Amino acid sequence: MAEKFHTELQNLRQDTLEMAHQGRDMLRSAVDALIRQDPDLAESVIARKEEIHEREVRLEEHCYQLIALYQPMAKDMRAIACTLKLINASLRIGRYGKTIAKIAKEISDKPSIANLMSIPHMADLVIDMVDDAIAAYESDNLNVIEGFSARDDTIDALRHSIFREGITYMMEDPKNISRCMVARYLERCADHACKIAENVHYMEIGERIEIK
Amino acid sequence: MSETTIISTSNLNLWYHEKLALQSVSIKIPKNKVIALIGPSGCGKSTLLRCFNRLNDLIDHVKISGEIIIDNKNIHAAGTDVVTLRKKIGMVFQKPNPFPKSIWENVAYGPKVHGVNDKSELNRIVEQSLRHAAIWDEVKDRLNDSALGLSGGQQQRLCIARTLAVEPEVILMDEPCSALDPIATAKIENLIDMLKQDYTVIIVTHNMQQAARVSDYTGFMYLGKLIECGKTVQIFEHPNEELTENYITGRFG
Repeated sequence: MAEKFHTELQNLRQDTLEMAHQGRDMLRSAVDALIRQDPDLAESVIARKEEIHEREVRLEEHCYQLIALYQPMAKDMRAIACTLKLINASLRIGRYGKTIAKIAKEISDKPSIANLMSIPHMADLVIDMVDDAIAAYESDNLNVIEGFSARDDTIDALRHSIFREGITYMMEDPKNISRCMVARYLERCADHACKIAENVHYMEIGERIEIK
Repeated sequence: MSETTIISTSNLNLWYHEKLALQSVSIKIPKNKVIALIGPSGCGKSTLLRCFNRLNDLIDHVKISGEIIIDNKNIHAAGTDVVTLRKKIGMVFQKPNPFPKSIWENVAYGPKVHGVNDKSELNRIVEQSLRHAAIWDEVKDRLNDSALGLSGGQQQRLCIARTLAVEPEVILMDEPCSALDPIATAKIENLIDMLKQDYTVIIVTHNMQQAARVSDYTGFMYLGKLIECGKTVQIFEHPNEELTENYITGRFG
């Protein structure tokens, strides 16, 4: 039975990785749509909303079934706890992607200011963090999430700087507020990457840490 | 473990003939707690349990070295009264084993052996023990019926009542639920939880969920060694030893 459980757990982790990649890709495409002012790409991100939501429900159910049927312990229990958190974080990252895509669609025919601000740079840094957090989960390797605290500080500083920059544009046209919000959403995605990293650490070591 | 220690062993070795069944076992059992011993078959859990009331003395060719201290006394010291020791350290076995006598006789037997003859005193002990074992309400109207007419779960609680009747300090339980259905098992588990107010319970179980549910501390044994002993929550959430981790996640055993 243990073998069957471990096969199922492996499958669950594989499916969760696919969901994590989907959330990450939605965010990446949304940022690309914003930078390139590409409404079609933005639309394709928005269209994936239902899919990621269905995955969330299905994978969560799988977690609960494994708990109910096998009462996992120690690392197995921690792996499922971490998986549940990763499912949630992936959904949130995907949804921020969708929200950014909506903004990209709305302003695709207006003069771009996204490129003037540090948003592309910030997006690259955030998506790198998401990638590393997912890689840590995939490979049970904690090395890639070392230094997350400092990386998160950089993201926070960038968000602050973009906000200040954005105020200038907002003074010209208050509608520009939506663009400032992009930095806020990216910063939240970095926070989710940190949460994933904390949970991978718990899964591997069994101790809670806080990345801030 | 900062609690008062009731039993401790140091470097306990035990041989059956030439076979080393316990190897350098050092453990401290805190008072008024439930301690579960887990591990694969043949790892020495039951052997260790039976050391505490010297039940292994009854087996030929058993040799023991090291110390077992109970209430600050070495139980292998010359002059130790084994009967008194076994009164202090009660035991419940895998299969319920009531005497083929009435329910009342089963519980009164121990106190009688230890010199209680007064009928009203015996009645008091029988009622109190049956109450403590959470079976009084089920048997109070048929105390003179044969104990063998009870269900398996009731027989096991009767055996616990029989153990309680001689006022032990420690109760050893060797797989007490393995012959019982889930409802009877749940009753015994609830009972174990209540018993720790007054007694120290050491339970050997193959059922890891049961160990997790009922115990405060868990010891994992493997090939005669105590690999790790710690708070149950810690053992089942993040054990220190890889062997423990592999066993409780079903990777061997």
